[in-house]
Amino acid sequence: MTTDSTAAIQIDHLAYSYGRAEAVHDLSLTVRPGRCYGLFGRNGAGKTTTMKCLLNLLRPHSGSVRVFGLDPAKQEVEVKRRIAYVPDQVAFYPWMSIRETIDYLASFRQNWNAKTEQDLLKRFGLRSDQRTGSLSKGQRTQVALIAAVCPETDLLVLDEPTSGLDPIVRREFIETVIGAYQESGPGRRTIFVSTHLISEFEGLIDEFTIMDAGRGILTLESDPARERYQRIHARFANTVPELDLAGALRVRRNGRELDVIANGSAAKLEALMRSHAPEQLSIESLSLEEIFVATLRE
Amino acid sequence: MIFQVNYKSGKPIYLQLVDQVKTAAASGALQAGEALPSIRPLAEELRVNRNTIAKAYTELESLGVVETQPGRGSFVKENHAGLRKDVRRKLLIEEIDQAIVQAHHLQVPRDEFLRLVHERVDALDDRRRANQERKEVQP
Repeated sequence: MTTDSTAAIQIDHLAYSYGRAEAVHDLSLTVRPGRCYGLFGRNGAGKTTTMKCLLNLLRPHSGSVRVFGLDPAKQEVEVKRRIAYVPDQVAFYPWMSIRETIDYLASFRQNWNAKTEQDLLKRFGLRSDQRTGSLSKGQRTQVALIAAVCPETDLLVLDEPTSGLDPIVRREFIETVIGAYQESGPGRRTIFVSTHLISEFEGLIDEFTIMDAGRGILTLESDPARERYQRIHARFANTVPELDLAGALRVRRNGRELDVIANGSAAKLEALMRSHAPEQLSIESLSLEEIFVATLRE
Repeated sequence: MIFQVNYKSGKPIYLQLVDQVKTAAASGALQAGEALPSIRPLAEELRVNRNTIAKAYTELESLGVVETQPGRGSFVKENHAGLRKDVRRKLLIEEIDQAIVQAHHLQVPRDEFLRLVHERVDALDDRRRANQERKEVQP
């Protein structure tokens, strides 16, 4: 039995290699139930490999993964019962219609919300007699999303779900995750999403890990992250004074202007810059995408 | 009521929503008895986690700005000064102190700061009056 305090996902010192190429190295993270957790990284950072280990599509070479306290390799059925998954490349049997495809996928599920299915088919403008082989990439993703939302599982795993889709489809995708999926059990639905289109998911993400070259290099909650990473921009009357900007993540000087990205020491840096009486000074938080870029270019 | 979320303000998202409702209630843009939007459509529209909206509404309820009627929604309360007078003063003093510190850094002198405070209070009164008149025209 699992309790509410059991992590939805617990990854400890995970490592996986394809031959000699190490894809994930010593990755650890915890996703608490009811949260939306983002896994950010560039292409090839190890996000998909990590997700495949959760689904028992790959076996960890060392370390461990647990889903609601269960080992996906040993309790595969129980784990898959509690997970829905939208992969980055959606593939269906092309000769089946949307109706047949959904019925086929629903047959593996104990629970299926038929009303949500009808609502979403209508919302996406999908005709259930269409063959999946004739669908666009966006439409295939929409069918995969319907199949992932309707079982109302405790955990939804999304691997680069919106890359390669047009802006309208991307927007509808995220609205569906927030609306139809979260609504099915407010506070209990956990989302684990990997993406490099970070700004689209900004409002949804409670907590995130940035991966680079197989390693987790930064884990933070979103609100504190935006408080911690701030850009201070100042313009001085003559030249930029010589300042001791130790503690700044990045400093740029351009003529009379000084642009500083602070990582946790914004108040101190701001006071220091103000003490030299700038003509103008502004301060703003970094978005999650800007934090991602600043962290990887550090 | 139209909400706006700004990821660059450094203020937690739920607090931005709380502050916007407080401002709207103080200016009369939201009248007593008016409903806040339901959580799901608002979350979809803003593309914000529905837990964030729920957290904002819970906070507004604990501040006494709105009351939640199970199954019906959250409504702006008539007189939302549910806190004791000394607590209210203390909360306000914290905000005033922050503005004073900011004024110091921006080199706004005392007289000008006090004049600005008068101006802002008048501006809020004007907005409240305008919203009141609109309400009387369209009951």
